[in-house]
Formats: sequence, structure tokens, C-alpha cells
Amino acid sequence: MISSLAIIAFAALIHASFQLSVSMLTLLSGHAIGSKTAHAKLLRLTNGFLLGVAVMTMLIISFIAFVFQHVFGNTIPLVAWAISCGLLLGLGVAVWAFYYRREKGTSLWLPRGIARYLSDRTKSTKRSAEAFGLGLSSVVGELIFVLAPMVISALVLVRLEPVWQLAGIGLYTLISLLSLLIVNALVGSGHKLSRIQKWRESNKRFLQFSAGSGLLILGFYVYVDQVLSVTALAYGGR
Amino acid sequence: MSLAIDIVKRDGKRPTESFNREKLHASVRAACLSVRSPEGEAETTASNVCDAVIIWLETKPEVTSNDLRRKATETLESFHPEAAYLYKHHRLVM
Repeated sequence: MISSLAIIAFAALIHASFQLSVSMLTLLSGHAIGSKTAHAKLLRLTNGFLLGVAVMTMLIISFIAFVFQHVFGNTIPLVAWAISCGLLLGLGVAVWAFYYRREKGTSLWLPRGIARYLSDRTKSTKRSAEAFGLGLSSVVGELIFVLAPMVISALVLVRLEPVWQLAGIGLYTLISLLSLLIVNALVGSGHKLSRIQKWRESNKRFLQFSAGSGLLILGFYVYVDQVLSVTALAYGGR
Repeated sequence: MSLAIDIVKRDGKRPTESFNREKLHASVRAACLSVRSPEGEAETTASNVCDAVIIWLETKPEVTSNDLRRKATETLESFHPEAAYLYKHHRLVM
């Protein structure tokens, strides 16, 4: 069970290294501070955003786990593990190749029309409920990349006891929020957004490399642990 | 205050509009406030940037919004480099 939770924690850490939600939180804070929003209201907005991200993350991972439980029961077929590992490896290479655009700033892979739309929505967010909705949509917006760590975590969750499934969902959500929690704490404690954004820009290649590498390592580990070892044992038993 | 100078919007997709000092002032002021500048300093910086941009604009019948932003950024850099960084990169955050 420890190894299951470790896989979930590692997958969530990879999830935390994706940057769309962090970009949106940075923009949201910037617009709120720039329009002289009171500090308490700024915190309500950013906390609303965080809550939205947390709720959507929990809903998606629970939904995927529910579907797997319904389809596979407690025994996951090898082919499901193999497909999920392929997804992790493929996305790992995709993150290395496409995650950030080759231009200044922290422009992501998103089509420019969608990025502009999200940016405009972030700018016009004035209420906590809107920030909550924005948090929900930021997870959906990045689903193409966070899907792989979520799928692997869901596969691992299905095999756990119900109580540990809840703990696993909580653990995944908490760890996947780490980067947002850090940015929120920095903004809340009065740090300058320009410093946060400069740090993000100067470390973007490292973040991209570590996210891609994380996906590859996780995919390789799970493949060896769940597919190769089981296949080898089956052949050895003959 | 509006000068009789046309600002061609990004990619030429949106209609051209007249230069609006208040709009530029508000955006520079917001950038300064975003980096936690005091309000008075933000106002002064925004006014100085607008004055410099207007002097630059006087010799031109038409400029693009990108040129206007670039000139405003250049000027803002001399008054407030951190605000200039955010002003310059606000479209490149995501």
C-alpha cells in the first residue's frame, strides 16, 4: 500500500508542475492588485480559485476511478496498465517538445485564441464565485496533460481499501495544489508579482524538463512494476 | 483626452481607434499597482509615461497598438523596471 500511495504522490507532484492554473492565478492576482482590490477580497478571490481547482481535481480523479472500478472491478487487466503507461510516456515526450512556446514569457502550448479568452475571463473576474468557476475551468483546460497522472492514480486507487481510496484522493488533490498554494501564500504575504513571474520565466525550461521526465519515469516504473513483473512471474510459473 | 492619432489594433482584426490618454494611463497605473507601488507613485509614473508617449506620437499620423505598447514599455522601464516587466509580458503569462 505504501508503494501505491507513493505512486499517487509522485503523479500528483507531476500534476503540480503543470502551469496553466499557476498562470491564471498569477494573472488573477495581478489584475486584482492592479485595480486596487482590498487585500481581504484579493485573498477571497485567490482562495475561491484554489477551491475551484481542488474540487475539479477531486471530481475528475474520483470519476475516472469510478469508471475503472465499474469496468474492471478490483483487478486491473494488464492491457489497461500498458495503455496508461503508453499515455504517460507519450505525454512525457509531448511535454518536452511542446509545453512552452518558443518565445519570451511563460506562454503555454494553448492555442492563442483560448489563451486570450482565459486571460480576458481572468481579467473580468471580480467575485469569489467567478474565481471558483475559473479554477474549475483551469483544470479542464489542462486536462490533456494532467489526464495521464490522473489515470495512473485512479488505476492505483481502485485496488485500495475504500478508506485508503479517500485518503489517496485527498493526498493527490493536496499535492497537486502545492504550486498554487505556494503562489497564493506569496501573493497573500505581499510578494511582488513581477518577482514570481520572473522566477517562473527563468525556470520554465527546468519545470518543463522535470514534468516531462517525471511522466517518463513514472510510466517506466509502472510498466516494469505492473506489466513486466507480472508477465515475467506468469512465464516463470509455467 | 484623445489625440487625432489612429491606433491600429493587434493584427488589424479589430477596428482602428483614436489614441486615448486615459486608457494608457489606466493600464500603466495598473501595472505599477500590480507590483505594489504606492498609489501616488503609480499615478506620477503613469502620467510621466503618458507625457513621453504623447510627445513620441505627435510626429506620427498612425501607429499600431503593439508600437504604442513597446514605446510605453521603454519609457516605463526608466521609471519602474519591475512594472515595465509585467506591462511588457502581460500577454505572455499563459
